[in-house]
Amino acid sequence: MSTPQAAAGWLRAWGRAALFAAAAAAAALSLSAYTARTRTLAMRQIYFNAWHVLPGFTVFMTLLSWVVIQITISLARDYGLAQFALELVFRAVVLELIPLLTAFYVALRSGAAIVTEVAMMRVSGGLDELLSAHIDPYEREFVPRIAATAVSVFALTIVSCTVVMFVAYLVTYGANPSGFAEFSRTVARVFGPWALTGLVVKCLAFGAVVAGIPIAAGLDATRDPESAPDAVMGGMVRLFVTLALIELISLAVKYV
Amino acid sequence: MEREGFTPIPKNLQFRVGLLLGLTFMVAAGFILYALYARGVFEATQRLTLVSENAEGVSLGMDLSFSGFPIGRVERISLADDGRARIEIEVPRKDAKWLRTSTIFTVERGIVGGARIRAFTGNLQDPPLPDGAERPVLRGDTQEEIPRMVATLRSTLENIEQLTGPGGSIQASLANLRAATERVSGRHGALGAVLGNDEDAKKVVAAIERANALLASMSGFVAKTDQRVLGPGGVVEGTQRAVEQANAILGELRESLKRVDKILADAQSVAGNAKAATQDLGALRAEVDASLRKVNGLIEEINRKWPFQRDSEIHLP
Repeated sequence: MSTPQAAAGWLRAWGRAALFAAAAAAAALSLSAYTARTRTLAMRQIYFNAWHVLPGFTVFMTLLSWVVIQITISLARDYGLAQFALELVFRAVVLELIPLLTAFYVALRSGAAIVTEVAMMRVSGGLDELLSAHIDPYEREFVPRIAATAVSVFALTIVSCTVVMFVAYLVTYGANPSGFAEFSRTVARVFGPWALTGLVVKCLAFGAVVAGIPIAAGLDATRDPESAPDAVMGGMVRLFVTLALIELISLAVKYV
Repeated sequence: MEREGFTPIPKNLQFRVGLLLGLTFMVAAGFILYALYARGVFEATQRLTLVSENAEGVSLGMDLSFSGFPIGRVERISLADDGRARIEIEVPRKDAKWLRTSTIFTVERGIVGGARIRAFTGNLQDPPLPDGAERPVLRGDTQEEIPRMVATLRSTLENIEQLTGPGGSIQASLANLRAATERVSGRHGALGAVLGNDEDAKKVVAAIERANALLASMSGFVAKTDQRVLGPGGVVEGTQRAVEQANAILGELRESLKRVDKILADAQSVAGNAKAATQDLGALRAEVDASLRKVNGLIEEINRKWPFQRDSEIHLP
């Protein structure tokens, strides 16, 4: 495949993803999308994306953050910068690392499954059957999944961040409650209204793209079974790029 | 798409998902409340405005510390109309007791990290700082001081290098000290070190010996002089006699002076008589003057009337 053709195909794929996002947003605003069937589907998606993985994911995040925070605090103390260590942990780990890792985790676990499933529906003709039965796949299948994935990423991020903040307190002050005042001052300094709003918006954006981009990529597949691997690969790459882009924009807005 | 792989779907799906969502929103709401509490939203505060030349290093959320404890937080930084920075700080009412009217505020910038705003209260008995108070702030910037300090240090080090280098004054002083020490420990000791060479030291020793001999002869001379001056028939005795004779001469002189006084009194009476005679002479002179004027008038009259009067005028042709 020559380079201009590849670039054109790449642009077309991004264009289709953008069109899908607009269509999904329009469907989400439609009242007919909120039925008992779609609610059940969303609950199922939340169960598999969040509840099912919550214990293991929380333990994993606790261990990872424990190591990262321990290294950060120890190094800061060695360099005589202990007063800045907790703020650095909050800004780097709680506000940036945990949400991004959560989004990647859900993307790898559910995004890959979603893009494969949608691609296989295209190959098997399942989507065409829905359209011929006058059933809108956006309202019935796509929007509940996107909304459920966004809620799942948000829930996993909030729970993980809370656990990580407990870990940060324990690593910094031990089980001594006298560090609470200083801890609160650092929390006040870092978690201002804009930081909290930014965190919520970023989590919801992560959740929306983790479901939306794989579905849009799955729709790129054709009746040809060989198109499915291409659709899955393209979808996962676009998902990775989009997640990284959201993180980059978030950092730029906050610190640049 | 209704089948999720091989994972079975539990019967109480709705409850579990509801529990998860409820837990998530409770944690989120709790965290937001905690963040608001930490930011002091639920406690009464008072405002303090610090006016500074500039607000470099000062950022929102920065602490105002007193004795190392944060007692306030920067809420707003703005530029006033006069070009100075206004740093507005919220201080909780419970911590405002540390701030008094005499409190001094400083903004310090260290080498590492941001600026620090500190409050120093000398006397906690002073009246408390009122709400909305505006105070100037003193700035201390380590980063600004470093170049000046390095320049001073460099010139100091150069001076030290010049002093201690080869040919430097400290080296020369040490060499001189060593030579002096060697002379002190030499044959003539400290005298040799003071005079610089042994020849002069020998001269000084010889001079001292001659001075000793001179002193011995001087003591004999003094004994003889003492005898001549204070002994019988000496200078002192002769002088006493001369003084007695002078006293007698002075008595005679006093008698002579008394006689001179009498002569002077007589002369004074003679002078009084002469003064009276002089007054009579004045009257006589006045009469003579009047007679002369009359004779003069008579002569002028005769001249006027005399036919061969001389014409004193000169008639020009």
